[in-house]
Amino acid sequence: MKKLLLIAILSVSSLFAQVKGDVEVPYISYQIKMGKGFDAVQANCLMCHSFGYIINQGPQSRDFWAKKIEKMVTHFKAPITKEDAGIVTDYLFKHYGNGKLK
Amino acid sequence: MKRREFLKTSIAASAAILSTTTLSAGETRQPIDNRKVSDMAFPQKRPLITYSDRPPLLESPRSTFARGITQNDEFFVRWHLPDIPTHIDTDSYTIKIDGLVEQDLEISLKELKNDFEQVEVTAVLQCGGNSRSAFTPIPGGIQWGSGAMGCAKWKGVRLSDLLNRAGLKKDAHWIGFNGLEKAAYYKTPNFVRELELTELDDHVIVAYQMNGEDLPYLNGFPLRLVLPGYYSDSWVKMLSNITVTDKYKSLFFMDMAYRVPDNKCECETPEHHFKPTKPITNMNVKSVIGYPENGMKVYHNSHVVVRGVAFDDGHGIREVLVSVDGGKTWDKAELKQENGRYAYTEFRYAYKPADYGKVTFMTKAVNRLGDEQPFAKDIGWNHGGYKYNGIDEVTVEVV
Repeated sequence: MKKLLLIAILSVSSLFAQVKGDVEVPYISYQIKMGKGFDAVQANCLMCHSFGYIINQGPQSRDFWAKKIEKMVTHFKAPITKEDAGIVTDYLFKHYGNGKLK
Repeated sequence: MKRREFLKTSIAASAAILSTTTLSAGETRQPIDNRKVSDMAFPQKRPLITYSDRPPLLESPRSTFARGITQNDEFFVRWHLPDIPTHIDTDSYTIKIDGLVEQDLEISLKELKNDFEQVEVTAVLQCGGNSRSAFTPIPGGIQWGSGAMGCAKWKGVRLSDLLNRAGLKKDAHWIGFNGLEKAAYYKTPNFVRELELTELDDHVIVAYQMNGEDLPYLNGFPLRLVLPGYYSDSWVKMLSNITVTDKYKSLFFMDMAYRVPDNKCECETPEHHFKPTKPITNMNVKSVIGYPENGMKVYHNSHVVVRGVAFDDGHGIREVLVSVDGGKTWDKAELKQENGRYAYTEFRYAYKPADYGKVTFMTKAVNRLGDEQPFAKDIGWNHGGYKYNGIDEVTVEVV
């Protein structure tokens, strides 16, 4: 069985919340698979988006994930090092891949 | 919270993880339709299908499309950047208009509501990637079912009235829109949309109300652009700046994302992406069934009323056809059109199931130009998974 990591505790207080003053968007602990390279995913991806954004892309090729990371660096200016880009690609392809290189 | 409860919550909170089934290249089928709504609600929303909390991405369930107006608390949500202001001071909020104008303006919410003619338009808001999960191989992006759309009554002021107040200079040609959503990194491009002046008409408004209430926070409170007939990537939320320019400025979201092949079928193969491309703008004709839903049981010889909504980019819906024999024969549904040409047309179709077993309802909308929805399998694939408008299908069991 694959290991799952559950991240942090979600705030249940915002259930059915209505807006009075400040808005509080709930935190959702999306299940994401644990494995080699996870630290790099956490360090580089979570700054801009939740794990939900990753796991709801559907299973994808290695090339797809590599290009996604390239897009984050080129267009969204995310400061991801070449080394981390490789580690994150490996992780995503292993856990959220479709088995195809291209 | 006990660990078990916590686990349950987190499982329900994440949308379905997709299976790894691979189909042959460039096919299109029915979008995924078995996703459960979360058991957690976002502010001002009832629980919806939840793909991401940051940025918030929420999809309406199929039942939403049994009605011609989508309620605010079940209206879908899609933001692009993670940093959305969580507090808006309505007393000090202004919208700025500058660039190639005679006079720079800063209009407060109060002035917007008092100093201009107030207008209302009922219009469908739909994500360009709505129904993306219909495409295989799977294009990048959120794997939406059919619920990244809704229809509301939008109230506000005409954009042209605001621009006239500022006065356009002779060279004015493009209008750029920016809202308050911000990236995590300073260098990330803003979610800016540009429109050519020629795209403007009196239906383009800056709205502060949706269905008679303030816009929900997650739908762009306190102001958003409303562009009837256009996909929602153009409807900038939390609108704060309007800048008029003579030249088009290169923009990521318009130049790289939200584009389809610039050919007749707007399609390509996964191996060879077609160049050139064009932005997605006008919506194509589409219908979605709201009732019954896939997997429901209906009684033999009972009175089943199939209900749903149809729309296009504002040419208007001429008819909605229903088939119960796999598309061999089609029958006209009854239409209700009371909210104008940009709104959902509601349809109803009475059916008496005479045979036991499974029956599939298919709906096909036709607009006033004669454009009609193709079968899902006849839609060309595109790498962004945009503009899916296949004939909708719902299968129920007659018991």
